[in-house]
Amino acid sequence: MNVVTRGVKNAIRSPLKSGAIVLMFAISIALILSMLVARGSVLAKIDQVKSTAGTSITIRPAGVMGTQGGGDPLTTDQIASITKTANVSSITSSLTDQLGTTDTNLTSSLELGLFGARQERFSNPGSESTGTSSASGASETARPAPTPRISITGTTDANSVATTGGILPITSGTLIDGKSTSNVALVGATLATKNNLSVGSTFTAYGQTVTVTGIYKTDNTFQDSGVIMPLASLQTLTDQAGAVSSVSATVNSADNVATTVAALKTTLGDKADITSEAEKAATSVESLQGIASLTLAGVIAAAAAGALIILLSMILVVRERRREIGVIKAIGGSNGKVIGQFIVEGLTITVIGAIIGLGLGILVSGPMTTSLVSNSQTSTTATSQTQRGSNRPGGLSGGFGGGFANAQSQLNTNLTQVTASLTPQVFFAAVGITLLIALLGSAIPAWLTARIRPAEVLRTE
Amino acid sequence: MLTVENVSKTFSTPGGQVQALKDINLTVKTGEFVSIIGKSGSGKSTLLAILGALDTPSTGSIVVDDTQINKLSGGNQTTYRANKIGFVFQQYNLIPNLTALENVMLALEFGGYPASSRLDRASQLLTSVGLEDDQQRRRPTRLSGGQQQRVSIARALANQPAYILADEPTGNLDSATGKKIFDLLHDLSRSQKTTIIVVTHDLEIAGKTDRTFTLVDGKITTK
Repeated sequence: MNVVTRGVKNAIRSPLKSGAIVLMFAISIALILSMLVARGSVLAKIDQVKSTAGTSITIRPAGVMGTQGGGDPLTTDQIASITKTANVSSITSSLTDQLGTTDTNLTSSLELGLFGARQERFSNPGSESTGTSSASGASETARPAPTPRISITGTTDANSVATTGGILPITSGTLIDGKSTSNVALVGATLATKNNLSVGSTFTAYGQTVTVTGIYKTDNTFQDSGVIMPLASLQTLTDQAGAVSSVSATVNSADNVATTVAALKTTLGDKADITSEAEKAATSVESLQGIASLTLAGVIAAAAAGALIILLSMILVVRERRREIGVIKAIGGSNGKVIGQFIVEGLTITVIGAIIGLGLGILVSGPMTTSLVSNSQTSTTATSQTQRGSNRPGGLSGGFGGGFANAQSQLNTNLTQVTASLTPQVFFAAVGITLLIALLGSAIPAWLTARIRPAEVLRTE
Repeated sequence: MLTVENVSKTFSTPGGQVQALKDINLTVKTGEFVSIIGKSGSGKSTLLAILGALDTPSTGSIVVDDTQINKLSGGNQTTYRANKIGFVFQQYNLIPNLTALENVMLALEFGGYPASSRLDRASQLLTSVGLEDDQQRRRPTRLSGGQQQRVSIARALANQPAYILADEPTGNLDSATGKKIFDLLHDLSRSQKTTIIVVTHDLEIAGKTDRTFTLVDGKITTK
């Protein structure tokens, strides 16, 4: 029997009371661990989102969005100045156009619908109200029924068109070389089916024959109804040498995005609309940062609660055992031995509580993190959509709106993939906080024992 | 030898200063069995606490075997208590979650007794005060008052102290058991030449000791 064994024995002296203290403490430890895990996961995801989304800048001619709006495309000189801008490591250029019935022998795979009919009213005034062909007049009967136009994108990197922001999924054939000048194209799966196209087939566009080298399928109705060609080829076919309707510039570091955007705005002036994904990413991770702050507050609150539980419990224990402490001192027990005994007692309760709490924490941290991030993601998406003021149903995108919408989609995908991860660092942080709590919670009551004078206790005899 | 010279003790209370002991002078020779009697509140327990270095006098000195104990540091007073003094209390004051053996071993630990021989020594002491083997392994709550006081005496004797200070050792016991406990202390005094100072209000017990000091309102009136 020594200080340690006496301390341990005292810790389980009253099983019911000790059990209640251990349980309360375990819950606070479980909360600490869960909050640390959630915070770790959220911070990691914030870093990931920032690092992946924060280096891309989208430059469009002022007033142009996909095939909509109005203005002049970007020129070769402007593209060159973008390329030469400091910190810009690479660029992807694209030009978007629409193929009408007079431009191609392809039939659009999209239905006109009410939306399409409304867009057609400018070129086919007679069909404005119905959206279908009318048999009321001879001149209108002669006009072909309006059909949606087919989007065609010329790009230096076909993968940049992928809606997911990753690799363009090719179901047959091969990817086109963005630098090629040949009349080759990738055709969306839906459009290919509609026109019985396969790899090696040809179709006409702008009076030229174009060969299909691959079929892609993105599961995006609008994109799968489009055509992708090398940029130079489309520029030639559309007689727009050097014209570009969208540039996605990659900056060498997320830290340089803001300065690069500023430099580009200076260079291009009011000729271009410049947006960086970093701005959107910041908006996207706002709620995650809120959760990170919340979890930090949770860690502090749970740690304080844990420390308070141990502290108050041990203070009660000391008060309860004043006489016993007095007796120990009277028969020769030193302050050191009494303090040691109470610290061991506090540590024993803490360690048992911590083991149970860490086990509980491991069990609940996953679902808790998922729940926190899932709730946050719902609100993030809702907020994001409200801010944009648009929610595009399938097939209604304003052309291949550059890589920007794709990147946004990628951001959202990333955000929902936050999973609870219990790293050794997080685990040891929890253990460290627990030990700190134990020391704080035990040391103060132990110090109180040192102040107990045996004579005061014995005087109550 | 224990010498008390001009010891006074004053307490501060919400009602003002209370002088518990007034200019106490007494001497107890080695191996003597003395008693201190007095009414409740006369200062008996306060005097015993000062003699046992549990408290310090406001004025005066206590010299035990050439050491002025009231001048010792806190740590040295603890060592003094562990090695020189054995306490026996009216309420026994055994540690409730320790067995009789463990209670005695606790005092042995504080006295610096080697861990390997504590169990044997504790068992021997408990046997000598009349506790059987199975009783030695019981916790205090499963022992009678007399048995608990025997454990308390065994604990007091653990480190072969020069002085045993007993505060109403028979106060909670029936007269027959009280007599046995007193006889036990008396035998110890004779067989081991241990100096025993007993605080009591039992005049019969006091009458059997070598000398009796009477305290009235903090002053010794008879020796």
